[in-house]
Amino acid sequence: MAFAPAGPEASFFDALERHRAALLAAEKRGAGESPAGAARARPASSSEVLTSIENIIQDIIKSLARNEVPAFTIDNRSRWENITFEDSVGLQLIPQCTTRKIKSDSPKSVKKFALILKILSMIYKLVQSNTYATKRDIFYTNSQLFGNQASVDNIIDDISCMLKVPRRSLHVLSTSKGLIAGNLRYVEEDGTRVQCTCSATATAVPSNIQGIRNLITDAKFLLIVEKDATFQRLLDDNFCSRMSPCIMVTGKGIPDLNTRLLVKKLWDTFHIPVFTLVDADPHGIEILCVYKYGSMSMSFEAHSLTVPTIRWLGLLPSDIQRLNIPKDSLIPLTKHDQRKLDSILKRPYITYQPLWRKELEMMADSKMKAEIQALTFLSADYLSRVYLPNKLRFGGWI
Amino acid sequence: MGNRGKSPEHTGKGYDSVPGDMFFEVAPRFVRGRHSASSTAGSVQSQLLEWKNFLRRKAANTLFHPPLWILRYLIIHWKCETGIVKGALLEGQLMISIEALSSKRLPNSLHCAITIASTGNIYGGLVFKKFLQEIQSVLPRFSAKLTWASEEGDHSQDTSSVTPFQVIFKADESPQSLKKDCLIIKQFLRKVIIVHQKLKFNFHLTVNGIRSAEIFGAEKEPTLRLSSGITLVVGFQHYVSKPKLNSTESYCSRIHPVLGHPALLSIPDGTADMGLLGELTLTPAAALCPSPKVFSSQLNRISSLYIFLYGPLGLPLISDQEQPSTTVFRDTSYFIDSKKHNLFMVPTLDLNLDTDLVLPDVSYQVESNEGNQSQDMDSQGPALLLFLFVDFHDGFPVQQVEIWGLHTLLTAHLSAILSESRSTVQDSIQSAVDQVLERHHQAAQAHQRLQGSLSVAVSSIMSVLTGSTCSSFRNTCLQALEAADTQEFGTKLHKIFYDTLQHQLLHHCSCDTEQHPVPQKRHSTQSTENWHENIGPESLGGKAPGLWVNPGLKAEK
Repeated sequence: MAFAPAGPEASFFDALERHRAALLAAEKRGAGESPAGAARARPASSSEVLTSIENIIQDIIKSLARNEVPAFTIDNRSRWENITFEDSVGLQLIPQCTTRKIKSDSPKSVKKFALILKILSMIYKLVQSNTYATKRDIFYTNSQLFGNQASVDNIIDDISCMLKVPRRSLHVLSTSKGLIAGNLRYVEEDGTRVQCTCSATATAVPSNIQGIRNLITDAKFLLIVEKDATFQRLLDDNFCSRMSPCIMVTGKGIPDLNTRLLVKKLWDTFHIPVFTLVDADPHGIEILCVYKYGSMSMSFEAHSLTVPTIRWLGLLPSDIQRLNIPKDSLIPLTKHDQRKLDSILKRPYITYQPLWRKELEMMADSKMKAEIQALTFLSADYLSRVYLPNKLRFGGWI
Repeated sequence: MGNRGKSPEHTGKGYDSVPGDMFFEVAPRFVRGRHSASSTAGSVQSQLLEWKNFLRRKAANTLFHPPLWILRYLIIHWKCETGIVKGALLEGQLMISIEALSSKRLPNSLHCAITIASTGNIYGGLVFKKFLQEIQSVLPRFSAKLTWASEEGDHSQDTSSVTPFQVIFKADESPQSLKKDCLIIKQFLRKVIIVHQKLKFNFHLTVNGIRSAEIFGAEKEPTLRLSSGITLVVGFQHYVSKPKLNSTESYCSRIHPVLGHPALLSIPDGTADMGLLGELTLTPAAALCPSPKVFSSQLNRISSLYIFLYGPLGLPLISDQEQPSTTVFRDTSYFIDSKKHNLFMVPTLDLNLDTDLVLPDVSYQVESNEGNQSQDMDSQGPALLLFLFVDFHDGFPVQQVEIWGLHTLLTAHLSAILSESRSTVQDSIQSAVDQVLERHHQAAQAHQRLQGSLSVAVSSIMSVLTGSTCSSFRNTCLQALEAADTQEFGTKLHKIFYDTLQHQLLHHCSCDTEQHPVPQKRHSTQSTENWHENIGPESLGGKAPGLWVNPGLKAEK
């Protein structure tokens, strides 16, 4: 299959091939071992979702018939006490996690109780009619009632966790903001054929990842780029062609659900090495951790979102020293950065990543951070012509 | 009356006209407290003239003046002579008895004998000879008989602390006047007991052999100790009629006063030499009555404003139920920011004295923006109560004469003093009123939010039920609420949801001890519930800290 002009010679990808082989071997060893008792959101059929919602309504009616005040029981999915870490999966919600009650007789929570019911009824209609809506669509059906988007987002995630089904089974889609470029083509659910290229205009991440099929690629690696600016720069420098065959993805910062689902799907389908290119700052590292290990708030869906085999390609704090990036290209860490850095250092997965810890401690000691753009002091295209090719060729990932 | 030994009897002249010079002889004794007579003679004379004019204006109804005068004197004396600390409640029991018989001399007239007596050992150090002299000078035209007793029969200067007493005086009144005067006396007693809960008054009236009796007391009633030292009875039934039966659950049985910061009073020049009396402060306390519970459906607009005026030692300032026809009380903006709260008020005239409620000294009715008192303007809405306590700034004075002098001064010059001190007093009053009304407003908003949330919840459930194709689900829901169809189900669902929540939420008002106990739940957003931590049926002991109003601060626990 011909995609783009041929990239480097075959030997260029030797390190990558060895890495891939190791990943596949590890994957085989871990196959079938599902972490015992982890809480998982499993895809559900429409009828299962409808029945779940009807059961909830029924319970409420029965409570009222007994003159009892109805309430929802919601998992505390954003508390560390309810999160466990598994190196092969990432952050997961423990099965017997603590919960909280959303009561209808509490002045503080009666409104939330009503909004949960409202969104449940909307989801019921979506599933029943086999239509889809984004969280934004739901918010705008009655923005005055909901107040703000974050409130809607939280409730939808709570419902997903409560019913133990992924959000897409609720027919609620997240708005995609990610982009793809490179050696990849697929067919969307409605039959649209998509061919990602290395042109200046990248392809938007589709909103229905579950529905795409016939994915085809011969990429040697998948590069996740933190920022859109860096992604565009690489496109402009024709990186995908020069490093062909490869795939590039960006979530434009903290990734949306669809971008994460796409990365997960590409890994599950092709088992190609996945690398991240993020700024050498706590925020960038946080984004890297989200792709690799998942987030607390979505820990109940970890199995469908995380790619624990992701490696940190750059920009490493040690690269700053190695490349003698001048101090005026660096930025002092803010108090917010310091707090985030301390938080990351305390996370359970850092224990499994001694090299990461070393890099983070280096950053903490220097109290400085750097954006990828700092490399431009060496040359405008240093990133695409020198830094990344060398990293990929010589295994400069951790 | 429990007299022991021979008691001297003193009889004055009969009563037949307005005692215009009633206070002439007694006044110098009070004014000349700590300064030489020569330095105060000028101010005293002008003061006396003022008092005479004041009394002459009250010429129409004067039967009630002597008992009220005597009661005030006794209460002040108790406090001063027994050395009760500030904040502690005075205890005691008094009997006021009026015996009226058709007069043989005057047609359509009743000859009345008014007796005021103690019914227990309540006095300490009352110098009866002095008391007699003073009462004689105050009531020269009344027939007065003073009786008292002591163990040794020494009637001269005995100041033993357990000496009961009795004073009797007589007057002729028309039946209508007698009835009105009795109502005025009873109103005064009601006003006293809401501040002096441990005082008890037995009021007896016998007209041509037909006897009626009434007891005034509030000892076992819930009270609230304000940090100013005043203890106030908080049972709402003293101030407004009980709400309709079907809404009783919506109201708290107690009022929840909010105390304003004390405002220093400025005394107009020429009114009195304030060096004699020290600095004065006015402390307001505002409350809604009845106080709707949070999430109550009975969150109507304020219907009226009632003002209660108290002087030192918590004694009512105005006792004859005549609205002070003075400028300051005609200006409602003094007490409430009408524009801010969208409440426009007009004075209420001719309050009906024949009531068990404590009548305000000044009363206003809320009118609509169009200027008429429409019935649509929530005539059942709560009243805003405003208690104004005037007292000495530097604490409890020792001299009885100072307290008595202040009462007289305030009675004569209240409006002038309030006008002189307008900015400070207005600021203090309005901050307390603002807080009360703001809470009311917040409660109304909270109720609206609840109603809104319930609507959303019910419509969401209905949406799923009506859209479901699962017959077992639909049947289960319909059977649970015993509904024949979805329409009936919707009606029942709304009602049962609302009733269940209301029942739970209204029981969160923990001060309502008449309700069955419910587990206390804290709702951090409802500052009103924090109030109830301070309230208890006991009234003494300083257990509850005062409820000062300070922007941004909540009541202390």
